[in-house]
Amino acid sequence: MTAPVAGHAPAGEAGTLGRENVRAVAAARGLAPEDLEIRLRADASSALVVLVLFSVAIAWLLIGSIFGDIASLKLHWPDFLTRQGWLTFGRVRTAHLHAVNYGWATAALIGTSVWLLPRLMHNELKAPLVALAGGVLFTLGIAVGIIGVLAGYTDGMEWLEANRYTAGPLLVVGGGLVGLSLFLTVAARRAEHLYVSAWYILGAFIWFPMLYVTGKWPTWTGVESAAANWFFAHNVLGFWLTAMSVGAAYYFIPKVLGRPIYSYQLSVVGFWSLAMFYSLNGMHHLVGGPLPTWMITTSIVASVFMFIPVVATGINLHMTVVGRFGALRYSPTLRFVVLGAIAYTAVSLQGSFTALREVNRVTHFTHWTVAHSHVGGYAFVTFVAFGAMYYIVPRVVGHEWPSARLVRWHFNTVLAGIAIYVISLTWAGVAQGLALLDARLPFQVSVERSVPGLYGRSLGGLILTIGHVIFAWHFWRMIRMPTGAQPTRPPLHEAQPVLYTDEAEAARPRQGAV
Amino acid sequence: MIPSSVPVILATAALTLLAAVVLAWAYWRGFFDNLDAQSRVIFEPKDFQLERPWETPVERLEREMSHGKLVDPAPGEWGGAS
Repeated sequence: MTAPVAGHAPAGEAGTLGRENVRAVAAARGLAPEDLEIRLRADASSALVVLVLFSVAIAWLLIGSIFGDIASLKLHWPDFLTRQGWLTFGRVRTAHLHAVNYGWATAALIGTSVWLLPRLMHNELKAPLVALAGGVLFTLGIAVGIIGVLAGYTDGMEWLEANRYTAGPLLVVGGGLVGLSLFLTVAARRAEHLYVSAWYILGAFIWFPMLYVTGKWPTWTGVESAAANWFFAHNVLGFWLTAMSVGAAYYFIPKVLGRPIYSYQLSVVGFWSLAMFYSLNGMHHLVGGPLPTWMITTSIVASVFMFIPVVATGINLHMTVVGRFGALRYSPTLRFVVLGAIAYTAVSLQGSFTALREVNRVTHFTHWTVAHSHVGGYAFVTFVAFGAMYYIVPRVVGHEWPSARLVRWHFNTVLAGIAIYVISLTWAGVAQGLALLDARLPFQVSVERSVPGLYGRSLGGLILTIGHVIFAWHFWRMIRMPTGAQPTRPPLHEAQPVLYTDEAEAARPRQGAV
Repeated sequence: MIPSSVPVILATAALTLLAAVVLAWAYWRGFFDNLDAQSRVIFEPKDFQLERPWETPVERLEREMSHGKLVDPAPGEWGGAS
């Protein structure tokens, strides 16, 4: 007879179900019972919120992938789906952007943060129902925003198209409630130290509301609107998606390897230099635009200075792994997160170079920018989110992922898909940019030269979608399995023995670690 | 209409000043006093004792000498199906 495993136990139940077992298992593992119990309570307290957010995130990933594929096909197949207004390129592309950036990436990373922070604070998640309500409202906000966009209602600012009076309040209140739960958790922390991941996560939840309110302020018009737009759109990458992703990477890489990060001092430098100087970057999106030259130049200089946090973080994450790349064979989490960290370094350095005027005059208004954003949004952020989910979900639902083969298929398809996508589109962007700069060539030539790259983009996108379907199917199988079910062999999960009864624990066959 | 640069200047200044103030507060509160201990806050003793199949015999021996007898990892310990 077994009691529910940790992931399905209501918050706090770990303590009442098995206090004696906690002591026994902790003693067998050489742990202090208090430490083990605190971690079990932390995991149990966030389990429901995390599971809901991850489920929602994966649903948005599938929806966003379909919109993305449609938008991509339309670029070289312009007669595709032209009869319905809601399926025109302008709406579908915007729906894709919202679904994957706010629906998928944001929900997945919030779920990761909600799971991580109680562990980092050595305490339970405070007000989990508030966080859950926040997640639901945030999801509703995204849905309302996307439906509005598809119906033709948009605020007309990139990354901020969702209507400020319908979707906006839901997003603000929803995100605020999740943030409230996290800050209450930090306020009640038992951990003596704040690990660097906590700084990144907490920073993200302070920065995002400031950015959103600035970007959505209703009185901006004309050029100031463009400036506020790109202030938001660039900073939401660095202060929101990047912050939570780097925070997660700083947890999972050393945790799996069982070694502290290469240089903790560097991580401190990386975080605070990002916090203080990243916000100057956004105006490099408006090189050549009708803004004061000093604003653009300041932004370009700041973009180059981003070498400091990027190199600090890159050195730290990469040097922690150097000499231990064999671990990638054994850990899907590490495989995804390490590749994500490599992509972070690559996209950041690429971004700094792209901000330079001489590079920008070729790449601006071309497919290069789309490729660049997918290195950041997908190869970095999404890979880290996948890696985090592979680590967290078994600890939430209490059993192993059902199929190692599906994990491999997922990894191989998304890696192949993003490689094809980025290489094709980067090449297309350069060809397009050079053609645009050549005054002897008609505009049509720049389009024709980019078409092969657009086919590559669609191919890469479709392969990515296949990978997402595999992942979603695997996740569905995972959460549909009966609690405590054994897929191929007993899931001797670290939290599991604590929640077994004494008799079951005594009768359970011994395998692996105890 | 205000100059186009003003909103971005104010917002950037707010973000930078906020970071500077929090950094000073964190320094004053001693958040950077013991960075070595801070770097280990995510670990439990078990994390150091798990036998990692990718480590060399020398690394395993070092781990054993530092943290005691190694224990087998649970399936899925490293994230994802094993």
